[in-house]
Amino acid sequence: MKTMDQANELRKIIIEMANKSQSAHVGSALSCVDILAVLYHKILRLSNWDERDIFILSKGQAAMALYAALYQKGIIEKKHIDSYYLDGGFLPGHLDRFSVPGVEVSAGSLGHGFNIGLGMAYAYKQKKIDRHVYIVLGDGESQEGSIWEGAMFSADLGLDNLTVIMDYNNLQGYGRAKEICHFEPVRDKWEAFGWSVIEVDGHDHAQLEIALRAEYSGKPKIIIAKTVKGKGVSFMEDQLVWHYYMVTDEIKEKAFLELSETVLS
Amino acid sequence: MRNTFIETLIKTHSSHKDFFMLSGDAGLGLFEGLQKQYPNKFKNMGIAEQNAIGFAAGMGLVGFKVYVYNIIPFVLYRCYEQVRNDICYQNIPVVLIGVGSGVTYAPAGMTHYSVEDLALARTLPNLKIISPIDPIEARLAAEYSFTSDSPTYIRLAKRGEPNIHEREKFDITKPQLIKDGKEVAIVFHGSIADDVMKAAEILKSKNIHPKLISIPMLQPLDFGSLCKMTDDVKHVVVVEEHFENSGLGNILMQACMATTVAWKLHVMGIPYGFIHAVHSITGLRKRFGLSAEHIVDNVMRLEKK
Repeated sequence: MKTMDQANELRKIIIEMANKSQSAHVGSALSCVDILAVLYHKILRLSNWDERDIFILSKGQAAMALYAALYQKGIIEKKHIDSYYLDGGFLPGHLDRFSVPGVEVSAGSLGHGFNIGLGMAYAYKQKKIDRHVYIVLGDGESQEGSIWEGAMFSADLGLDNLTVIMDYNNLQGYGRAKEICHFEPVRDKWEAFGWSVIEVDGHDHAQLEIALRAEYSGKPKIIIAKTVKGKGVSFMEDQLVWHYYMVTDEIKEKAFLELSETVLS
Repeated sequence: MRNTFIETLIKTHSSHKDFFMLSGDAGLGLFEGLQKQYPNKFKNMGIAEQNAIGFAAGMGLVGFKVYVYNIIPFVLYRCYEQVRNDICYQNIPVVLIGVGSGVTYAPAGMTHYSVEDLALARTLPNLKIISPIDPIEARLAAEYSFTSDSPTYIRLAKRGEPNIHEREKFDITKPQLIKDGKEVAIVFHGSIADDVMKAAEILKSKNIHPKLISIPMLQPLDFGSLCKMTDDVKHVVVVEEHFENSGLGNILMQACMATTVAWKLHVMGIPYGFIHAVHSITGLRKRFGLSAEHIVDNVMRLEKK
């Protein structure tokens, strides 16, 4: 199966979870689906579990996307997915590392997973263990001061085992990042903090894969993935309300119809 | 205490492959030996406390035994949510070394005092809290922290505190009887120990002999052991350099509500409020009724009851 098909399937799993649980953040989950599909199916080394690469979803509100990817990889089971956000279920709305395998780090409050990931990458270097740490960061999340503390601190640590991907959907809880604060220029900011920046279309799998495989340049790498919140379901795309709205049965049917009709490359 | 704690760690444990020390741009001179011997086991995290704690948690997840050194506001207050989510919620055995307990840094001002740290630390499940009274307890705390599987917060004063214990080895997780006595027990932790010992000397000259009990580990508190130690006194006086409404006194108040004890509890601590007065440590203790003389007066009053 191609990663585009896998991403499409992930979207269906997410819509199903959001519908069953009547929980929010479906738009946030859909925006990073392509990034996760490429990571989980092309990049992450997971076959030897004890020496696996580490994936951290720092924007923990998109937990459904991670759960769906773990399910698709066969790391967690259907009973986990089916009980997401439900009374007595296995999976909480935000990430708890004690919930299921594959949730490497507890994250939900923004501006935490990134710094934990930096510490992990540094520790693997210190221990001379070949494991790569991948972190997906939200654009809204990168307004947190902790992100810039970590960015400044880690630039000179020689972390060639670290890749950060910013899911830049430009739509946070209250609107566009640049309307809320002096967010742009994002690229210049990261470069000024000593990072190597690659910008890609965050829904173009070929671009994502090339960027993820790009050689270490002597600086830690951040891929700014331009994404669309709610990607894949036309009436959810780039709509602020889908940070919050519930997926009713009717919405689910409409979304499934679109996803089934999606022509995949 | 601080120096003993750090020296013990470095001497006994720094050779371990997983030992790692992080500092938040604090403790100049303290880690020179460590840096010289093991340049790859020390990192200055700069003035960025949120990152320091998250980073420590990440290193801990990979198997390092990480110590984070800073003054208390910057190892617990500024980065409280990182301590909560990244260390305690994830149950990673990072050790937070906080210096400047109580008003150690007087007259540096309120921003640098730590008179509510126990109130914060107590909210955190999994976190062990140790507040040593002397270098011996500090050494035992260092040894305990290295082997502990839980996150640990060590609350230290600065330096120059004398040894109080006569024994070199005991269980740091339990209350410690320092001196037997009758009628009144003084229960204390942390740097106020010098005034407590001074008070005990003055009382001795007046032929009054309170029981002296230190509680190095405040969370979890072994209340059962404390009750056994105090089953023959009428009054327990808690003396602590901490807000009186939220430290050890408050822990005991809650514990007493759930059980029956033979004694009445009295708490001598810092009144709940921001400190604007400019005083030395001694001056602040006098102002807040925490000096040796105040302890003497209180014990004498209770002893007559």
